Amino acid sequence: MMNKALKWMLWIMLLAALFLYPRIFGIYYTNVFVTFAIFALFSVTLNLLLGYTGLLSFGHAMFFGTGGYGAAIALTRIEGLPLLGALLIGFVAAVILALILCPIMVRVSGAAFAMLHLAFGQLMYVLALKLRWITGGEDGVGGFPIPPFVIPGVVSIDMMDPLKFYYFAIAVLGLSIWILWFFTKTPLGSVMVGVRDNTKRVEYLGFKVPQTKAVIYCFAGGFAGVAGAVYALFQNLISAEDGFHVLVSFAPIMMTIVGGIGSFFGPICGAAIFGLLEEVTSRYTERVALVMGLILILVIVFAPFGFLGFLRYVRESVMAKLSWRKGMERAS
Amino acid sequence: MDPKTAMYVAQGIHGLAYGMILFLVASGLTLIFGMMGILNLAHAAFFMLSAYFSYQVLVMTGNFWVALLLAPVAAALTGILLERFLLRRVHAFGHIGELILTVGVSLVILEGVKVFWGTESLYLSIPEYLKGLMKIGGVEYPIYRLFIIAMALVVLGILAFILYKTRLGMVVRAAVSDADMVNALGVNVPLVFMLVFGVGTWMAGVAGVAIAPILTVFPGLADQMGMDAFLVVVTGGFGSLSGAFIVSIIFGELSAYGVQFVSALAPVLMFIFMAIVLVIKPTGLFGERE
Repeated sequence: MMNKALKWMLWIMLLAALFLYPRIFGIYYTNVFVTFAIFALFSVTLNLLLGYTGLLSFGHAMFFGTGGYGAAIALTRIEGLPLLGALLIGFVAAVILALILCPIMVRVSGAAFAMLHLAFGQLMYVLALKLRWITGGEDGVGGFPIPPFVIPGVVSIDMMDPLKFYYFAIAVLGLSIWILWFFTKTPLGSVMVGVRDNTKRVEYLGFKVPQTKAVIYCFAGGFAGVAGAVYALFQNLISAEDGFHVLVSFAPIMMTIVGGIGSFFGPICGAAIFGLLEEVTSRYTERVALVMGLILILVIVFAPFGFLGFLRYVRESVMAKLSWRKGMERAS
Repeated sequence: MDPKTAMYVAQGIHGLAYGMILFLVASGLTLIFGMMGILNLAHAAFFMLSAYFSYQVLVMTGNFWVALLLAPVAAALTGILLERFLLRRVHAFGHIGELILTVGVSLVILEGVKVFWGTESLYLSIPEYLKGLMKIGGVEYPIYRLFIIAMALVVLGILAFILYKTRLGMVVRAAVSDADMVNALGVNVPLVFMLVFGVGTWMAGVAGVAIAPILTVFPGLADQMGMDAFLVVVTGGFGSLSGAFIVSIIFGELSAYGVQFVSALAPVLMFIFMAIVLVIKPTGLFGERE
């Protein structure tokens, strides 16, 4: 086990690195990092369903988009809405969508779950394009005022400054990821893994499987909404293409798979890998999705447990070799 | 016949033509799912790939019939390669791995065609005698769409004959209900899987060539059709051919009459239909399993 003092040191170093990052790398890479952090949270919420509960969703973008549209529309229509209020509206909008869907969704699993999400995700995409008077059609909702971050009587921070927005976004996203991490450590989090591994036994033990699934579903949906709301604030724009498109649903799945399924930090690694790849490939070719697809195929065929799984495999095989060699030396 | 009724009839045939195309795509999807438990998300990509192949063949030979013959076969061969060399390898890691693999393949095909053929719409010309209108019982109707309906019926007839009247069809139907048992009885099930995958992809390919002259060939061709085909499979019940047939026709008519009567709601009518069916029967109209 890691020493407690060392653990604190690591945390402080991480915070210091996050604090210093924009000052070292400049404004362009700061924005790249915010995008990464948004998708890291988004992927973590997907992994809550995919990795922890064993439910594959092809329509996770609908929560992302709903959160984004919720925050954006609220800021356009309600004057003087505080920043955290907008985030809260994004969160609540996504939770409400999850509540509406969960009576159907908790009854199915496997391929049916995935396909139903694909269908409903596409429905949301079509609605976002067609309900022009609410969502602005193809143009999306943009150019809304971004209020300063205010703690009454204490401080008022202008959010139009990218540097200050970076700190705000990192704080919100980091806190959300931490809450989700904490959630996986609760007893309910253990039941969640039980649902994935052996649904029947969990049922025999007296836990209510559909209700448990519903709670997790709303949790995952709500925080995907937070990611979407931060995205809308960050871009000052949310459109059907950015919020509800099927590729937005596929992105966190790819990140989770590439990073490593079945570990909390896998999706975050995956988001980082994809962020880097996109940065590099988009310099050379327009066909970023082609490269992503190829990588996905390669990972599934050759390293089905993703980057973290690959690391674990390397470490284990090295350790095994070392201990084997030690044993040989001792024997000779 | 007064013009109004004539228009309704025309819309009805219109819906039938779309329903038939939809069924050609969805039947392959539902067969593959029924047998292998794989929802092939690259299915619509093969549909589009075949349309691009047909354009290429048409450019090279100038004959529509050759394109109609060769392009679906080429798409089917690509599908068989995918099944043999990729899907079979990840089979051990469960269905989620297979699903995601097909997503990757779909991405590669959808983006790959842009590399080879560019992003513009490509036009396919059909023979003169398939153009123009035909008068049936006082209703003028485009010959080409009638041709599509006829062709789909022929393909379906052949499929139904093979499935229900031959030994191979019997093996396939048995494998749909219990692949392990059929394997234990000494049938080379992986070979049958490969064959079914090829035939399913071929049917999607035929649909792709059939629709190419109407919609033109462009990178977004697969989006609408892929989504509709999935809705058909989910609503009709996973693995059920008759369910897929009935729902395809219903969806075809829904989209045809929907545009006419409630054009604002038309894109979501199918979703509403699906949601109603699934709330009443979560396994779909004719499905027995999830």
